[in-house]
Amino acid sequence: MSESPEPRQPSVNAASPPPPPSRPSLLLRLKAFLGALVSTRLDKSGGRIRQLALILCLAYAGIGAKLIKLGLSSEPPQTLKVAVDQAASGARPDLLDRNGQVLATDVRTLSVFAEPRRIIDKDEAVELITAVLPDVDAKELRERLSSKKGFVWVKRQVTPKEQQEIFHLGLPGVGFVPENKRVYPNGPIGAHVIGFVDKDNIGIAGMEKYLDQQSLTDPHVAGFTVDPDSLKPVRLSLDLKATHALRDELKAGLEKYQAKAGAGAIIDVNTGEIIALESLPDYDPNDPPDMTKESSKDKINRINVGVYEMGSTFKAISISMALESGKVNLGSRIDARDSLRYGRFTIHDFHATHRVLTVPEVFTHSSNIGTARMALMVGVQGHQAFLKKMGQLDRLRTELPESAEPLVPKRWTELNTMTIAFGQGLNVAPIQALMAVAALVNGGHMIVPTFLTRNEADAMASSHRVVSEQTSESMRYLMRSNATHGSASFANIEGYYVGGKTGTADKIIHGHYSQDKVFTTFMAITPADKPKYLYMVLYDQPQAVAGDGGYHTAAHNAGRVAGLLIRRVQPLEGVPPASQFPTQPFPLLAKLGYGYDADKVGKE
Amino acid sequence: MMWRILHILAIGAVIASAAYVYSVKYQAIYASEQVVKTRHAIAKERDAVNVLRAEYAHLIRPDRLQALADKLLDTQPLALNQIVKAGDLPLPAAKVDSIGRKLEALGLGQSSTPSAGVTGATPALR
Repeated sequence: MSESPEPRQPSVNAASPPPPPSRPSLLLRLKAFLGALVSTRLDKSGGRIRQLALILCLAYAGIGAKLIKLGLSSEPPQTLKVAVDQAASGARPDLLDRNGQVLATDVRTLSVFAEPRRIIDKDEAVELITAVLPDVDAKELRERLSSKKGFVWVKRQVTPKEQQEIFHLGLPGVGFVPENKRVYPNGPIGAHVIGFVDKDNIGIAGMEKYLDQQSLTDPHVAGFTVDPDSLKPVRLSLDLKATHALRDELKAGLEKYQAKAGAGAIIDVNTGEIIALESLPDYDPNDPPDMTKESSKDKINRINVGVYEMGSTFKAISISMALESGKVNLGSRIDARDSLRYGRFTIHDFHATHRVLTVPEVFTHSSNIGTARMALMVGVQGHQAFLKKMGQLDRLRTELPESAEPLVPKRWTELNTMTIAFGQGLNVAPIQALMAVAALVNGGHMIVPTFLTRNEADAMASSHRVVSEQTSESMRYLMRSNATHGSASFANIEGYYVGGKTGTADKIIHGHYSQDKVFTTFMAITPADKPKYLYMVLYDQPQAVAGDGGYHTAAHNAGRVAGLLIRRVQPLEGVPPASQFPTQPFPLLAKLGYGYDADKVGKE
Repeated sequence: MMWRILHILAIGAVIASAAYVYSVKYQAIYASEQVVKTRHAIAKERDAVNVLRAEYAHLIRPDRLQALADKLLDTQPLALNQIVKAGDLPLPAAKVDSIGRKLEALGLGQSSTPSAGVTGATPALR
């Protein structure tokens, strides 16, 4: 192939002055060798072609082997860009409250990374970096820099000042990459609904996790980075101001009544939207707790994850069941003269009346005996079926990833039916009770609560009827009468036609119902003739305060807080106080002859 | 001769057009650089806006406002009886011309409002 320049060389040699006598043999041999190298002898060309072919074959085999090796190796060779794209926190959509206020947003920050392969002196690099970033552990950093990876983090989300200093170190193989840092401007307000993310901006809890589960925003799908501009903000059903009001009042109550924990929620009964939800103690999602630690256990979302015996608020469900079955009506009389005996158990009334009660009186006096008798009329099977229909026996799943399975007794006897009727022996998540009571008062439509915005038409389309319009109206009537004459009077805020129900459940301590440790709940609806909002407040182990006559029952803590809350939140939601009561609040009952005025019912 | 002139003209035209193309090319490069720069500036501004939005949201968070209001304002929390619907407000009372009435009482009223022809409270002129 390259035969043209070669032949001249021997000729040049030949043209040189005559060589000394000792050298000719060497020169001649060289000449013969070179001549043979470049000569075209047909008899040798076949062998040469074969040699050439062999060399080429070997070369191609080598290339093929390398290709196979690359193809089989699991780890693709990382370019820096790919490594950065995979490691850097992706963008997430903003979370807004129902009025468009920011609940969570991304802020652009810089993170420091290193390419260990390009760092020349690792010890020097470690020394310099730790001098600038004192909170980076030197030993750990040295280990990371000694790894064979193409890309390691030095520190995530540095301040501009730190960035400047690192930049001025001028270390080769150390660089910056812009990242998205999630910030929650409102701190702990609504934290249990919003949730939080980890360092890589992946949702860990709450709606943040829900968003990732919807794979709207999975930031680390291979070869796919989310363009921040393409992300639409997600609007939650929460109202920031109402949530703050709820947290503020709950917190004040928690301190005043020295309770272990408190929680509350406000739901729009016609759409199922959760307007506010708080559970105390809570946390700041900007600095999220490590939920695996024992010390963080009391920071759970008690509305969704806790399961409790709801106490007398469950009587609303039991009485509506009895009304719906047709076995009783509002005028029926229930014998509550004596304690109810069942085997070796006896059911007492907390505020014993020792007389025959009407159904509204059973509700306003919160009679355990009366409610148990009504549940017995329906029977165990009917009771179970009704609770199932009301969603009390199955785990309720909302958008929030956190949920809890209710604790249902394995053997369900008549005794269970009697106790569950007044709220003992069945542990449910408070949000389940909230959903059930919302369905009882909104006209009988079971609507699954949501943390995203939803309009009434969609809610109605996805709902199903669980009780009749008349039963629902009866429940509103009962709750209203309870606010005027019963235990819910602390929440009877002038101008809002409030209805309510208290619930005080004795806590089980070491397998026995404790006398002094209680779990109190309060549910209130406004306005009782055509409810829009249902308020729930609950406290765990509240104490009696001075001036309350030693009572630690729900009316005195949860009830009072609910009253303050209604006073504060109703105007926030744009509902001015009405100057007069509705003239015909309960038309169906009026036709049946129960009178318009629930306010008079308790006086009979 | 003709051909030579034509050749010179053609060569001149080629050089001129080449120069023009070069200038256009460099302008285009310059413009695209400007576009990239502006894009970066926009991205930077957008990030800055985001930071400001977050900061604003942080500053107007309700618990902070409440604490500030409690500390710095001597107003009281809103009571429910302070909320009234717009329709419930009483109509504004007819405006009274108090000066005119006083003048009238002094016996000077006739001259000041001769055209009104009404004695007593006169509606103020708008």
